Amino acid sequence: MSKENEINLTDASGDKYKYGFVTDIEADTIPCGLNADIIRMISAKKGEPEWLCEWRLKAFEFWQTMKEPSWAKLDYEKIDYQSLSYYSAPKQKVAPKSLEEVDKDLLETYEKLGIPLKEQEVLAGVVAVDAVFDSVSVATTYRAKLAEQGVIFCSISEAVKEHPELVKKYLGSVVPYTDNFYACLNSAVFTDGSFVYIPKGVKCPMELSTYFRINAKNTGQFERTLIIADDDSYVSYLEGCTAPQRDENQLHAAIVEIVVLNNAEVKYSTVQNWYPGDAEGKGGVYNFVTKRAACRGENSKISWTQVETGSAVTWKYPSCVLQGNNSSGEFYSVAITNNKQQADTGTKMIHIGKNTTSKIISKGISAGFSNQTYRGLVKVSPSADNARNYTQCDSLLIGTTCGSHTVPYIENRNKTAQLEHEATTSKISDEQLFYCMSRGIGEEEAVSLIVNGFCKEVMQHLPMEFAIEAAKLINISLEGSVG
Amino acid sequence: MTAPLLEIEDLYAGVDGKEIIKGFNLTINAGEIHAIMGPNGAGKSTLSNVLCGKPGYYVTSGNVRFKGRDLLKLSPEERACEGLFLSMQYPVEIPGVPITSFLKHAVNAIRSYKGEPELDTMEFIKMVKAEGKKLGLDNEMIKRAVNVGFSGGEKKRLETLQMSVLKPSLAILDEADSGLDIDALRVVAEGVNALHNENNALLVITHYQRLLNHIVPDFVHVYADGKIVKTGDKTLALELEEKGYAGFVKEK
Amino acid sequence: MDGLIQDIKLIGEEIPWLKEIRAKGRNAFIKQGIPTPKTEAWKYTKPNRFFETPFSYTPSNLISISSNIKLPFDCYQINFTNGVFNPFTSSLPQGIEVMPIIEAIMFTPKVREKISNIAKVDENPFVALNTGYLNEGVYIHISSNVDIKKPLTIVYETLCTDRNDMYNLRNLIHVEKNSSVQIVEAFYYEGKVKSSYFMNVVNEIYLEENSHLRHYKLQDEAFKSAHIAFNAVKVEDNASYKSFCLQKGADMARNESYVELSEKGAHATVDSAYIMNGWATIDTTTNINHLKPYTTSSQLVKGVVGGQAKGVFQGKIHISPNAVKTEGYQLHKAMLLTDDAEVDVKPELEIFADDVKCSHGSACGELDKEQLFYMQSRGISEDEAKQMLIEAYLNDVIAKVDDEKIIEWIKLSLNSNKSE
Repeated sequence: MSKENEINLTDASGDKYKYGFVTDIEADTIPCGLNADIIRMISAKKGEPEWLCEWRLKAFEFWQTMKEPSWAKLDYEKIDYQSLSYYSAPKQKVAPKSLEEVDKDLLETYEKLGIPLKEQEVLAGVVAVDAVFDSVSVATTYRAKLAEQGVIFCSISEAVKEHPELVKKYLGSVVPYTDNFYACLNSAVFTDGSFVYIPKGVKCPMELSTYFRINAKNTGQFERTLIIADDDSYVSYLEGCTAPQRDENQLHAAIVEIVVLNNAEVKYSTVQNWYPGDAEGKGGVYNFVTKRAACRGENSKISWTQVETGSAVTWKYPSCVLQGNNSSGEFYSVAITNNKQQADTGTKMIHIGKNTTSKIISKGISAGFSNQTYRGLVKVSPSADNARNYTQCDSLLIGTTCGSHTVPYIENRNKTAQLEHEATTSKISDEQLFYCMSRGIGEEEAVSLIVNGFCKEVMQHLPMEFAIEAAKLINISLEGSVG
Repeated sequence: MTAPLLEIEDLYAGVDGKEIIKGFNLTINAGEIHAIMGPNGAGKSTLSNVLCGKPGYYVTSGNVRFKGRDLLKLSPEERACEGLFLSMQYPVEIPGVPITSFLKHAVNAIRSYKGEPELDTMEFIKMVKAEGKKLGLDNEMIKRAVNVGFSGGEKKRLETLQMSVLKPSLAILDEADSGLDIDALRVVAEGVNALHNENNALLVITHYQRLLNHIVPDFVHVYADGKIVKTGDKTLALELEEKGYAGFVKEK
Repeated sequence: MDGLIQDIKLIGEEIPWLKEIRAKGRNAFIKQGIPTPKTEAWKYTKPNRFFETPFSYTPSNLISISSNIKLPFDCYQINFTNGVFNPFTSSLPQGIEVMPIIEAIMFTPKVREKISNIAKVDENPFVALNTGYLNEGVYIHISSNVDIKKPLTIVYETLCTDRNDMYNLRNLIHVEKNSSVQIVEAFYYEGKVKSSYFMNVVNEIYLEENSHLRHYKLQDEAFKSAHIAFNAVKVEDNASYKSFCLQKGADMARNESYVELSEKGAHATVDSAYIMNGWATIDTTTNINHLKPYTTSSQLVKGVVGGQAKGVFQGKIHISPNAVKTEGYQLHKAMLLTDDAEVDVKPELEIFADDVKCSHGSACGELDKEQLFYMQSRGISEDEAKQMLIEAYLNDVIAKVDDEKIIEWIKLSLNSNKSE
């Protein structure tokens, strides 16, 4: 206890207690709190070069001048950033010893999704990945295969050491640390994440998901991902797991930065189902994520697909900056909120280059006492001749106690732009339900059929096997919302 | 003799606080085809909706037994699983839900209700396609979402396709001929006739006689003011066509 | 805020209620201040730039020049000249009563409860400012069970001066049960095109059970003026509010409609068109609140933006919990004519009930070049062809006005261009 106080006291004065501090880390009892020393420690612990440490410190300095945003339609208890621990992985401390100790609901969900037992253990945090899978060899197999093509796929910490020129060039170039409160915090304290580089002319031979699913480590609260698709390359990247992950972290503030160069294409798919809290709204993850892709090259293409069913609070707007001429951005989203979940999510399409196109398909489903907001921006700069956007936002409400909100912003400064926006809000009609039921389909099944139909335009953009699991996940998320 | 398939006894029912069916009686045995004819607005659709348990429709008194069970106690899907089928006058559109997956859910729900194993997907799709072909619904149409973008006639064919796949014991055809030209009418009628055998029954609800040239009823009931006012054989339908409903409505 | 709040003695200070409500308005204005680009409700219109020049309120009971503006349709006409009510000359039919608002406040205390009731001072700084100067305007009262055929027109004429005048006008319109009436508002100016003034109008409108108001407006203010109008409407059982507003003038303008559909069966149609050039910013803001079941609303807004102008549309449909079986529909379409034109749109749905049908749509585009070429190839000049296409573009929203004569007048106004 006294140590903690000392550290706080030495905040401004610098290195005095630095060594004492190291000892603490080695003993894995990092005190809570955030200050320049902690950041130096994180950087040192990770063996980072000086420039990165400096960058983190600059971010931290800036962060201290920022205010947590309050414009989103979200209502949650204020986070005390000084009470969090920024390096240790609290998960390991409380990991259950066997599956018997794991929450029954969670296990039932795995059952329904048909997840193999071994994998269940990983997801529930019973055992570390390494203990179950021969992750080293698995990783090596994949890595060798990828390396043949020159694809770099590793943790961002490794990339900092092995490919500093790439990291230095692109880190923070899409999401500068000044961008927003959470992004700035992430820049100061990010622990790990993935790094992908697809060289010129290479079509990545596999979806980076296959590797990721078994290798997904507990990268903690402040994940940072950087993807660079060089000229004429292609990659499909899959983030997350279709099974809910047991997670003790209250706050997730991740960043994903994507750079797409000439004629390159990146598909980024996410299935997010962190712990949503219980039916009373207790617990659950706060998910404050900044995701942005810069289509810098001509004819470059980015496609975001997301299925959001988890987290207690979601604040997330995967965006596309369409700089290159003829570049295009797509955003396909399904967000489901139930019980007391809250989600404020959407996208930004910034048209800068000529002949840029974007498409937004957003499907929101609210049930229980949840509240959901679609918030989007389509911005056409004066330079973006012939820009095209099509936006469709549909919301479905289940029950009378939930809310659905649509807040699109459309800013057009080019006369040749053609922008179309459509939004609807409705409920599952009694007619549709009765029609299904009169054919023998039970009410809950009928609802899930109709909801899956409602989401279809988005789901078809997910890789096949992922889509099947995601569909099951939608059903699970809506359980108990009918009748 | 086995128990009747459907027995309706002194039924009073309505919708939106308005009593529409007032003292309705009808018994249908397996193997029979019944037709209910009546003027527009007589509440014919109310009857079919009450029988299938559409929410909003209520029964004030009377009994309905289906295969000996109290039908009114069952949920809509239980009624369907028991073998009741309603071919609707205005089938609703369900965007994004393909016909095949919709039907597969329905078939498997009914099979599991009966304790039968689920059907193999490939076999099932083959069967649906074959049945669809008979009704003039090509494979492309079957891939589409339920009723979405279908013309009136196509919707009726799709209703018939569902009937042929679900194989109900009692099918109620509510204005099955509306929106159909004469060729389409024949196709639908042939589809329905092909399904009829000594173990099931049909209840045809219609305003016009023309459908009954193709689906020939054993009994024709004239329905007016909430109940059956006259029952006869198929010649009654012709008589109605000639004289109109006015005479019968007065008779009550 | 220079000059916007002045310590001027207004009529009726001796009435405590009036003194209090004015003070409340002023304080609320001072507290909120002039919106900046950071104020969400004004982020696109940015009115602060307009208020860099100071405006002043001139109690001008001195001037009373009767207007010679005559509208091209038969109507009962009320005139305001430079923000001052001209005594009413023509006679009114039974069931309709028009008097200066200050008179109504002084002599009919029961109207007081209707003032600042739906147009709340804490939610809009310009409503607050307007309330702070509560003095000029009319009270229009329609008794129950009357059907007024001829429209009642309010002409607001500004004879431009070199002073930067501010006019705060406050109207209260109360339509009792089972009555119907059409009210037309026309904002014109006379004199120097480039003079600057600030017109700040608040209408509070109460529509009782089964009453019907058609509310049409033309905003054709001077080139360098500011026009801010706030229409607060409360619609009761089976009553309907149908409005159309054409905005074409002013340097910075906002026409805002705040509608409460407060009882079952209430309906609102809030349509608008805007056509603009130069450096103007024209803003159409709507806020339709469905508070009870079985309420319906519909909005169609179309705009044509040329020059370096900026069109703004912000539309919100709110559906309260349990306001089921409601329908809300909104469509905004804009056409940009030039490289420097801009349009900013924020259509918003806020829905807390499940059994509803709501939709909004928005589209932006330019003049159809094929059509333009086709017309030119038939010998029509480019300018004329453009004019025709623009008119055709706005035609559907204008055609929704119920009165043929008023449609004609609006179309005529569309083309009259004294500002250039």
